[in-house]
Amino acid sequence: MADLALIARIPSVASAVLGDLAGGFYDAIREGDGESVASVAAFVSSALAGAGEELGLGALHRVGIAGEKRALAVVVLGNSVVIARIEPAASLAAVERALDAAVGTGG
Amino acid sequence: MDPILQSLMDLAGVTAVLVFDSAGQLLGHRGHTVYDQGLCEQVSGALAKALDAVQLQQEDWETVTAHFADGKLVLRRVIANGQTHVLTVVADATLNPSFATVAIRVAAGKLKRVLEGGPASSGVGTGSSAARAGSSSSPAPSESRPNLANSGLSWSKISNVGLSRVSVADPASGAFLARCAKELAQHVGPIAKVYVEEAVRRVSPETPFSMAVARALIDDLGAQIEDAADRTQFQKALAKA
Repeated sequence: MADLALIARIPSVASAVLGDLAGGFYDAIREGDGESVASVAAFVSSALAGAGEELGLGALHRVGIAGEKRALAVVVLGNSVVIARIEPAASLAAVERALDAAVGTGG
Repeated sequence: MDPILQSLMDLAGVTAVLVFDSAGQLLGHRGHTVYDQGLCEQVSGALAKALDAVQLQQEDWETVTAHFADGKLVLRRVIANGQTHVLTVVADATLNPSFATVAIRVAAGKLKRVLEGGPASSGVGTGSSAARAGSSSSPAPSESRPNLANSGLSWSKISNVGLSRVSVADPASGAFLARCAKELAQHVGPIAKVYVEEAVRRVSPETPFSMAVARALIDDLGAQIEDAADRTQFQKALAKA
């Protein structure tokens, strides 16, 4: 299980949510609607994982969603999903590296 | 459209390129033999649904990058005539992310022009699709370069990819942009030029870039550098300009 408090302390992480691939919601830090975030992230992760499987890309590790001003990073850890909202969007790559270090993935 | 897709297929590590609309309808694809039309149509539908959900949380999404055990999926939003289209690159683990980011950005710009009914660039995206089908030619880097002859802006020593149009007020301003890209490249790599172009559009959206907004540009670009010491070094180097 990921340490959400540790993730929320990563610079540029505005909020963090922990859920699972079924859309379940476990915890949130600085996120007002963690349930919605968790359910959307679960759906996106499942859909992308399915597409990746069709394309022979193997297991889904991580998703980065970049917008003009903010970004989202979704890390899949087994059945769990960690979602970090990132501001500014330019910090996405740095946060993804920090997330990999925090949750022990190399994706 | 085919030359644009083929230009992405020419990148090391890219195994397939797809374009689909917001409903998931496949508009074009290129790929290795295993990525046939049926598979691409199926994947397009699944990805469109995923992007519908992304839209709920991140309405202004521009790029989605999915990292898998054996490769990557990069989805780039292309808005043409008010409609969302998606340029999707399927790649294995050998893909160079920095180079791919630039190439996809350039391809997305060309695709937008094609989808809007105009030419992608000189010699690209014109004529019937039948005439284009099967063509594996990709534009030479020089074909996608903006005309900077009167701007004093020279990119030739920085990189030869990832260019889009920027306008400058005078040669000195152009030279300053070139210097910004060169300095920034030392910290962020080959994507520096793209960052400079985007920063110019932010700090001077309505008028050609001029030295009057140079300070704002330096501050904007500094935000792209994560390391504080590097950022200071970058700002100091440009303050001398």
